[in-house]
Amino acid sequence: MPDIFHYALLWFLSIGSFFLLMLLIGHVLMALFLIVPTWRIFVRAGFSGGWSLLHLIPLIGSFIVMAILAFGDWPNGEASGSG
Amino acid sequence: MGTGFAALLGLVGLSSAFALVAFVLAAWMAWRIVEKAGLPGWTGLGAILLTLTAVGTIVPLVLLWIFAFMRWPRDTMALARATTSGASGSTTGGAAAPSAPSALPPPPKALTDSRGWTLTGKLGDGTAISLSFDASSSAWTLTGAPAAQRTELSVPDPSVSRPHARLMVAGARLGLADLGSADGTFLDGARLLPEHGPRDITSIRAIRLGSVELALSRV
Repeated sequence: MPDIFHYALLWFLSIGSFFLLMLLIGHVLMALFLIVPTWRIFVRAGFSGGWSLLHLIPLIGSFIVMAILAFGDWPNGEASGSG
Repeated sequence: MGTGFAALLGLVGLSSAFALVAFVLAAWMAWRIVEKAGLPGWTGLGAILLTLTAVGTIVPLVLLWIFAFMRWPRDTMALARATTSGASGSTTGGAAAPSAPSALPPPPKALTDSRGWTLTGKLGDGTAISLSFDASSSAWTLTGAPAAQRTELSVPDPSVSRPHARLMVAGARLGLADLGSADGTFLDGARLLPEHGPRDITSIRAIRLGSVELALSRV
């Protein structure tokens, strides 16, 4: 009986770890699709492209990235600004 | 059962409220970002609105890639501005201005020479003398008498008249005029008469007042 419980626990832990790993890989892959174009946008705006790595933060990363681009002064000039 | 259903509804409502706030915030920020790039703000809003449709996040993702690699109107405007300000002529058509070579910046202005001058020499009795003057005054008087004013340069020698000559400073140029001295003024050996008026002595190195030889140098 303890052996069955032991194997069941191992099974569930393995399944859970696998899904967590898949979730992590999926998140990173999805973030990569966002990081590449955002990196270029940051560079064109005059910021460091490294800011786009904030996409790796779950849930709120994209919002932080958008907030930097939307509310920060672009060093390379803005269309509505003095340029 | 009723309580659980209410809690579920509350959770859904709370999540919806957060989603709504996030959606409005994202739309606002997207509007601002595309406006900074020179595109109409509604294009950013539209990209966020598309996430509500059945196409999900694929189309906004594609639009993000297009936005990142497309030509931004901001760059075109900056190029037109640079061309307009850099070239002498005016551009035609504004955004589609041909790329003209921009003018080189003007050379830096020459630094103003704020150095003064020094007259050094020896009197008849062997006493060394050094007289310094600068552009703080436009006229300096050389005299054999003791200096009564700041603009008087005393050369205490019997051969130097009182006054003897006048130095005139105009920027980096220096002039000298004899004031009717008894023993004369000589520039590089040549006599300077009062009727000659002021002479440019900027490149002169040796001045003689009476029997006193003075060397002119800049300090």
